[in-house]
Amino acid sequence: MNLQSEWFPFSGHPLSDSCWSLSAGPDGRIYAAACCESQPGETVKLVRYNETRHALDYLFDLDVKAGDPRDSGRATQCKIHYSFAPSRHDGILFMATHLSGPPIDLPAYSPWYFWHDPERCFKGAALLAYDTKRDSVVWTDTLYPKEGCRCLLHDEDRGLLYSLSYPRDHLFVFDIARRRSRDLGRIGSINAQALFLDRRHRVWTTSDYGHLVRYDPDRDRVEVSPDVLPHNPVFQTGWHSVFYDVAPSPEGDCVYASTWIAQPHLIRIWPDEGVWGRVEDLGPATQERDPHRPVCTFLDHCGGLTFAGDGKLYYVASRWNAPDLHQEHDPFDLAAQNPRGIIWQLEPETCARREVGELVRPDYYAHYVPRGAVDHNGDLFFAHVGRPPVGIFRVPMPAECRRPDAPLPLRMWG
Amino acid sequence: MNMTTRKKYDFTRPDTRELRDRITHGVFLREGNLVAFPLCFPGASTPLPPDESQVTALSVAPSHMVYGGTSGRAAHVFVGMFHGVTGCVLALGEIRGATAIPAVCCTPRGWVAACNGPAGGRLVRGAYVPMPFDLIQEWEFTQVRFEDLGTAAEGEPVVHAVAEPGGGVLAATSHHLVRYRSEPPTGVETLAEVVGSRLSPALDGSVYGLCDARSLWRWDAASGRLDKRAVALPADAEVEAGLRWAVDPFRRRLYLTDQKGDLFILEPAHGVRGPVARTPLAPVTSLAATLDGRVYGTCGEGMEHFFRYTPGTDRIDDIGMAVSVLERRRYGYQYADAAMGRDGQLFFGENDTLGHLWIYFPRIEPSNSLI
Repeated sequence: MNLQSEWFPFSGHPLSDSCWSLSAGPDGRIYAAACCESQPGETVKLVRYNETRHALDYLFDLDVKAGDPRDSGRATQCKIHYSFAPSRHDGILFMATHLSGPPIDLPAYSPWYFWHDPERCFKGAALLAYDTKRDSVVWTDTLYPKEGCRCLLHDEDRGLLYSLSYPRDHLFVFDIARRRSRDLGRIGSINAQALFLDRRHRVWTTSDYGHLVRYDPDRDRVEVSPDVLPHNPVFQTGWHSVFYDVAPSPEGDCVYASTWIAQPHLIRIWPDEGVWGRVEDLGPATQERDPHRPVCTFLDHCGGLTFAGDGKLYYVASRWNAPDLHQEHDPFDLAAQNPRGIIWQLEPETCARREVGELVRPDYYAHYVPRGAVDHNGDLFFAHVGRPPVGIFRVPMPAECRRPDAPLPLRMWG
Repeated sequence: MNMTTRKKYDFTRPDTRELRDRITHGVFLREGNLVAFPLCFPGASTPLPPDESQVTALSVAPSHMVYGGTSGRAAHVFVGMFHGVTGCVLALGEIRGATAIPAVCCTPRGWVAACNGPAGGRLVRGAYVPMPFDLIQEWEFTQVRFEDLGTAAEGEPVVHAVAEPGGGVLAATSHHLVRYRSEPPTGVETLAEVVGSRLSPALDGSVYGLCDARSLWRWDAASGRLDKRAVALPADAEVEAGLRWAVDPFRRRLYLTDQKGDLFILEPAHGVRGPVARTPLAPVTSLAATLDGRVYGTCGEGMEHFFRYTPGTDRIDDIGMAVSVLERRRYGYQYADAAMGRDGQLFFGENDTLGHLWIYFPRIEPSNSLI
């Protein structure tokens, strides 16, 4: 297998510098967030891949729909960060916004610095219900004031949206029918980048120290597991081994996850086994390197976990050349390291992994992939973060790897 | 500023880097050092459950160990030790039936925790923990037995409590002032009806509490006399039951705050004066003085800031938000109590899920007299 990628830049949002969210919607089509967090006074645009035109459709600007103009002087509605959550029964795609984009007249934004500043502080995480059948925003609300939404999850059976707030790292639950948020408590200081739901409606995430954290709605309690998630034993302690990306298995009995730290580990978790589930260490997702020097988390990275129609897990992990310290080089220049985005395939039966392709962006490095998804035609898509304008990759799959309902069961979290 | 006049930021400005750094780092602690210490013996025990570890009460014992109480789904008593070959927070145990500990009092003979639960407030006491053996090598700890001293006032929660100079404990419930003495053993006795408020001992053997919106009461431990409306509050003070106090051993005075964040000075001979300064945010959530008379505290909602009051200048400075990059990497958002340690370092109780014991080492001010 040698998968080829097609690059679709966000040419309709040339300043876009990150695409954190990419998901299959309830209609099986691919939705992506064209985010803009480094430019002052900008906004995120909702994008959908148009499979007829093989192009991107720009659906709307979030600041307009949220009623929070980008030139207000406050932190902007600049991104949707792992916060698409589909609703299959009514065709709604929920999305919540995150912060970090500077006010129009400032070069940077800090939610801590401006927390008490009514003119500058982020208005709050906007929650939108987008009807994918009618192409319209049905309603909007605010998940919580001042904070952004780091990741979102939909428990469709119970009509609840769970999210992690940033920067205070609280777990919230939003009752969709009542439009009411409830703070379930603080987790720590580092947001996990994903939540997942098990068959018993329990919501899982991770703590600062790499422990599983679980909210059980029947007990109404957030609990922390005694064990530390797999990590590199040489230079890591478990600290910062929080979830980066979590993909459900097609059978719904386990999830596959990568951690958010340089040299991430791949993990498989069977949440229904034992008190705290069964955790399997599938090993490091990226290359070995000199443990004496920390590596940038934007270089050493793994994301985009998604199952394809062939029942195998696909993800993208970075690979780079270690710089020769005896050669003069600019540490901020990626050219010497030539980072690449390698597409991997993991066979669930054996956990055997193999490289099946490489993402190619004609004008930049393609190593950083936050999220991936498969559409209703069975093709893979990957989000990208890098030089503006960023965009998404489409990876057409061979016929034998496709099936029409490939996104099912839908991933209910961003 | 009119929002429509804002111009898009020009990244060619020469101060861009400096401005970015200021926005990113500038709100965090700007002087001294904060260390977030977990409520455990790192490497030998786990922290208390996150939803049972809001640190709401602190008190320093004669041994310089710091005793504390937590609130949440359950309430625990702990002791922190950081001198000699120690370096741990030892969980002493959960107080059954309690969900909040508004005060821990260190008396000459042991600690007393004021606890609240569905059944109301009560006092529980325990012995002090002796110094363990070398906590780098090997250790053993004494298991402390809890003694329930009884209900403070039937059905009433305890608002606050302090050790009184005679060796007892004075506690304010929502409507009563009560006292516990071990010598002679009196049990918990009701002294008077008062409005429940936070209390403070003074250095002259008295204890103060809020009498009403305009005055403080004074309890004299030696005579056992309560003087209501003993001290008038300034006309513009808006003092409420949750006022914060600090005892300044250097100038032998008390500080108290009102709900606006105004800081007042109480000197027994002169009464209350002020406000001498106002905190950058309100409400004030903790307050303590260090050995040289500087006063530190926390204030604000949602994301509290630390502040410093310097008596010589009557000035309060915002010294930023709490962040720990030593021991534990953690942002600190909410606090409930503070106490001074042996060497003038200050302990702050983090009133949050997975609360930590924060240790603040104030900046050493340059002194021309030492040169």
